[in-house]
Amino acid sequence: MASFAARSFVAVLRKDLLLEVRGGQSTVALGALSLLVLVVLVFAFNPAGGERGAAAAAGALWVALVFSGMLGATRAVSGESENGCIRALLMSPLDRAALYAAKLAAAFIFMAVAEAASIILMVLFFNLEFDLRVMRLAPAVMLGALGFAALATLLAGISSRLRGGDLVLPLLAVPMFVPALIAGVKASAAALAGAPLGEFAVWLKVLVAFDVLFVAAGYLLFEYVAGEE
Amino acid sequence: MSGRGIRLWLGLVTLALMLAALYMIFVYVPTEAEQGIVQRIFYFHVPCALVAFVAFALVAIAGVFYLWLGQQVWDDLGYAAAETGMVFCTLVLVTGSIWAKPIWGAWWTWDSRLTTTLILWLLYGGYLMLRAMAGDSEQGARFGAVVGIVAALDVPIVIVSVRLWRTIHPAVLVTRQGGHGLEDPRMVATLLVSLAAFTTLFIWILCLRFATLRMHTRLGALARSLALAEAAAQDS
Repeated sequence: MASFAARSFVAVLRKDLLLEVRGGQSTVALGALSLLVLVVLVFAFNPAGGERGAAAAAGALWVALVFSGMLGATRAVSGESENGCIRALLMSPLDRAALYAAKLAAAFIFMAVAEAASIILMVLFFNLEFDLRVMRLAPAVMLGALGFAALATLLAGISSRLRGGDLVLPLLAVPMFVPALIAGVKASAAALAGAPLGEFAVWLKVLVAFDVLFVAAGYLLFEYVAGEE
Repeated sequence: MSGRGIRLWLGLVTLALMLAALYMIFVYVPTEAEQGIVQRIFYFHVPCALVAFVAFALVAIAGVFYLWLGQQVWDDLGYAAAETGMVFCTLVLVTGSIWAKPIWGAWWTWDSRLTTTLILWLLYGGYLMLRAMAGDSEQGARFGAVVGIVAALDVPIVIVSVRLWRTIHPAVLVTRQGGHGLEDPRMVATLLVSLAAFTTLFIWILCLRFATLRMHTRLGALARSLALAEAAAQDS
């Protein structure tokens, strides 16, 4: 019967991806937001390239990730309540944990696309080179996106059901994301500076630990967030 | 003994211990040689920090029991602990800053303990915002329990990452933490009395807040059953 959970996961994820492909705007909105954040940060820090420019670029990338992640999770979860679809999903025999996994996967895919775009934009805006160092950003950024999606999907389940809840999501998600943010910025800066792999790997471990913890917590606790009513 | 009696006694014990602690801090304990008079704030700072940690752990434990058993008592306990813990956590940050200015030369540094405490403060500030927005519904209690558990899960990894962040790039000012050299036995005695005073103060405030929340819950239940009875009377 493991297949039922797997099938419901695939069904919900497929629905979300189809909606997106047939004219949903999540990925476009996330990408545009990331672009804007990077532009704002370029104005704010006026980076000169070189060593300090790389550190600023790593920071900017993660600010963009946090903003796009908040938007992505909100859209994946609260998009359902706009037309009452969430009620149908909860009434169906669908497992809540499978619903969480599907929503997490959708939010992660949207974020991953936006992050890939913002890595390219970052290289352009901060005058870096497309080389091996930029490739090494990918694991850190993808782990960060997964962690943020896991956290924000759970919290978006809360914020979408409260009046004025859009305020609650950043207030809760940002402090909780701090460990992954520290690790991600450090890993990205190490990657861009061409630091030895050991320094990079320490931070990846923190990111992996964060992801495991929050995916597990979200999987177990989503049931209580997406309760009745 | 009734709840009211327990609270009265707790209040009296807290008062006595707090007076003793104040006497010891300001009169009895010798002034620390290196840091001077400002070191005395340490006897407030450390107990507040310990109490805040206990309070936040209590929020998570109450959250687990609430989700497991579904009894409103657990949520009232968790909510009371979060509010009380927030007060003590604020005190930790304030007393720490007052101490840091003359000793470190800055109100704030991004030392690992300071950063961790600030993150804790932000986390539970978010929890209280959530509770304020959710109002006193069953839903708010459930959300509060989930956030309380997730926040507590977050704390160890915050501590690890902040420590790594600070050891790889050590700041100049953070090598010496205040109060590690308690050579004088009078200092140890003062710290212990102060710890006892703050622990009873915490328990006392927690009990008061918990009792208020219990009353609030009972009042809500009464109001609901009254409304139901009125509706039934109008129907018939």
